[in-house]
Amino acid sequence: MDTMAAIKQTFFQECEEQLAELEDGLLTIEREEGDVETINAVFRAVHSIKGGAGAFGLDALVRFAHTFETTLDGMRSGRIEITQQIIKLMLRSADVLSDLVRISRDGGAADEARVAQMTEELQKACGIEPAPAAPAAAAPAAAPVAIEPVEGAALVPDEFGFVPTPVHFDFADEQPEEPQVDEFGFAPVKIDFDELLAEDASHTEGFEIRFRPKPELYAKANDALRLLRELGRMGEMEVTCDYSSLPHLDAIDPEGAYFDWTIKLKTDGTEAAVREIFEFVEFDCDLEVRPLISGFVEAPEEAEKVVKEVLAQVAAEEQAEKAVAPVAAAPVFEVKPAAPAPEPVAAPVQEAAPAVAAAPAAPAANAAAAASAPAPSATIRVDLDRVDRLIDLVGELVINQSMLAQRVMEAGIARLSDVAVGLDDLEHLTREIQDSVMAIRAQPVRPIFQRMSRVVREVADMTGKSVRLITEGENCEVDKTVIERLADPLTHMIRNAIDHGIEKPEDRIAKGKPEQGVVRMIAAHRSGRVVIEVADDGAGINRQRVRDIAVKKGIISPDAQLTDAEIDDLIFAPGFSTAEKISDVSGRGVGMDVVRRSIQALGGRISISSRPGQGTTFTLSLPLTLAVLDGMVVTVAGQTLVVPLSTIVETLQPKESDIHGLGEKARVIAIRGSFIPLIDVGAVLGYREVEADPVQSVAVMVETENQSQCALMVDAIIGQQQVVIKSLETNYGHVFGVAAATILGDGRVAVILDVDAIVAGSRTEMARIDANRKRNAA
Amino acid sequence: MGNAAECITLPTELDIKAAGPLASQLLALRGKDVMLNASHIERVGAQCLQILLSAAATWTADGSELTISEPSPAFTDAIEIAGLEISNFTARNH
Repeated sequence: MDTMAAIKQTFFQECEEQLAELEDGLLTIEREEGDVETINAVFRAVHSIKGGAGAFGLDALVRFAHTFETTLDGMRSGRIEITQQIIKLMLRSADVLSDLVRISRDGGAADEARVAQMTEELQKACGIEPAPAAPAAAAPAAAPVAIEPVEGAALVPDEFGFVPTPVHFDFADEQPEEPQVDEFGFAPVKIDFDELLAEDASHTEGFEIRFRPKPELYAKANDALRLLRELGRMGEMEVTCDYSSLPHLDAIDPEGAYFDWTIKLKTDGTEAAVREIFEFVEFDCDLEVRPLISGFVEAPEEAEKVVKEVLAQVAAEEQAEKAVAPVAAAPVFEVKPAAPAPEPVAAPVQEAAPAVAAAPAAPAANAAAAASAPAPSATIRVDLDRVDRLIDLVGELVINQSMLAQRVMEAGIARLSDVAVGLDDLEHLTREIQDSVMAIRAQPVRPIFQRMSRVVREVADMTGKSVRLITEGENCEVDKTVIERLADPLTHMIRNAIDHGIEKPEDRIAKGKPEQGVVRMIAAHRSGRVVIEVADDGAGINRQRVRDIAVKKGIISPDAQLTDAEIDDLIFAPGFSTAEKISDVSGRGVGMDVVRRSIQALGGRISISSRPGQGTTFTLSLPLTLAVLDGMVVTVAGQTLVVPLSTIVETLQPKESDIHGLGEKARVIAIRGSFIPLIDVGAVLGYREVEADPVQSVAVMVETENQSQCALMVDAIIGQQQVVIKSLETNYGHVFGVAAATILGDGRVAVILDVDAIVAGSRTEMARIDANRKRNAA
Repeated sequence: MGNAAECITLPTELDIKAAGPLASQLLALRGKDVMLNASHIERVGAQCLQILLSAAATWTADGSELTISEPSPAFTDAIEIAGLEISNFTARNH
């Protein structure tokens, strides 16, 4: 059972990848940048999910994936015109599919109504077309009865009994160990046959199908003969079997695949219906389906032979480029003008050239397909635990290395001695190892951005606003954990941006803005951190209203003097929510304070800037990794602290004359003509009651995430060092002003300062505490 | 057919699992004239058809004789579906 669980887990991992690919492909098509291969990739993604889901008996998932796939197939074959509307439908279907995958994995109930509605819409999309794809789409639901013999079906039972219907299960006992690959398998098509026939009279010709099973097809317990038999049920067929590659008995692989069938099928069914028969084996065989234009069995013997030879050559070439998915082949034979190797059949090929002059563009398409087909060996799947263990160990190595360096220094060994030089090399090496290990965990933010495009769609639908999401910098790489934990905060920010930020279309027009609102999501690396901006072009923050609410809720005192930035910042205050009525969209019991907290838990910071009438921008600044940090080690009131280097602008020794008092307690320092707040870290963190003398201290100039500068007063600077972050939250709990902890070279624990929190702590936090104090007193 | 013809009754199930044993069984008879009784066959898959076809070709090359007798409806049907004929499975050299 454990093995099964493991396989299932792998399946869901793959599903995640397929879903990402699906969405990626659809968005590419939406931007009109896609080509045939993009549609194929999209189709394959859904198909793979369906295939896997089938193996695990996830019926709901299979059913929906099937309907989805049928519509995609319509797009692929050109039956369904690719319009923006269709793409939207596809994207929403991808959302539903993703939900179903998630539910299959994590449990929970599917939104049946939504699935049903989506299914209906998909079927309608197929049905609009003259080609009767709709019944096929509806088939899976009816599948269980599908196997009832259709007229003309042979009375003999299907060879291997893998069809899951009761009719065939009498053989089930005999293949107990067979994989249940096609549990719900191939049935769907047949039931529709009559309908197909009845509905579509325009397809008077048929198809020529070339079907060459690979050994895998048999190995997966499918049988070629049953597929042929099913084809036969679609209409009159003429099967030609080429078994010329069959070796003599002493050389044969009993489980090899040597047959090469060419089937002329006279049917009114669609190509999709034909392909559907092969759908569970399509990657385990070479399959070509092309319409029979000249009618049934009219190809002269000679031409047929030539075609066959060409096929043989094409097959040989295909063999050479195994990477190309078999179904990627267009329904025409592709013949490369320049055959890679002179085959014995070269001459006939030339003769046949007019007949099969498929397309001059075919080789290019082929090459493109080959190029875009994933190389199987490019990646490996590694359990995250293993990577984390490696990261932990490397972290220990870094600590150990710095301890060693410190010991050597303490021993008074000269800087230029061999030992010291060797240690320097070791440090470089350690750093390189660390960077490489971190790179393993680094992932592009793309998937999370893609997920946001769904949020935008849904929220825009719900609020009746028209919104476009523009993303930039999707390839920015961040630690996987950071990415995973970004989903909720980003979702909330996007919801907020659309629900509260972007105006209703009519209001926008009245303001002279384009009717469609824009939400921008930009990721970029900035000084060792990743910065993600979520910006809308909406109305901006209504500061008066925010202020009023904050006063009403007792977050600030009515007479508090706040700057615009501070007012904007109030929306992050706990208990603040501007929505007067809780809307479906953003009022889900999470406020921006939760967003801020979760970003802080990641060692990140969030800030806001807003311009009335022009929109609001949230800026998230996150560490690239949660594992290491370059820091400046300082002492404050006898404590050793680490200030993240990325926040430090400069350090200086304040002069008496530069220090000015401001109000009751606050002090500022004059630097190059501007006044910068001076914050005593020791006092903010509660290490000492009395503020230190600035002249006796060192001022560390830091820049906070909203670009404002502050001077942090510390007692002394010890040095600069790379430290391994040990989460305080995981091991203890959140402490105000502290981002995390680390172990220093001498073995002591030092806390890493959360600079933003310290700065904020000396401002709005104080105001809040003040207000609370007043309220409590009252 | 020569008098020394070996008579083999093919099993009811000729699916993928039967392919290997069938091949070995036939190989062991190589050089002899063989008659395969197909009357019991209830199911046959493509891979066993491959073995039987290969056997016929091998026997033909060897100059031995291979025949199929009393083909069951299931067998005939499978051959037909596969686009083959019963004569493809026969090696007549004498």
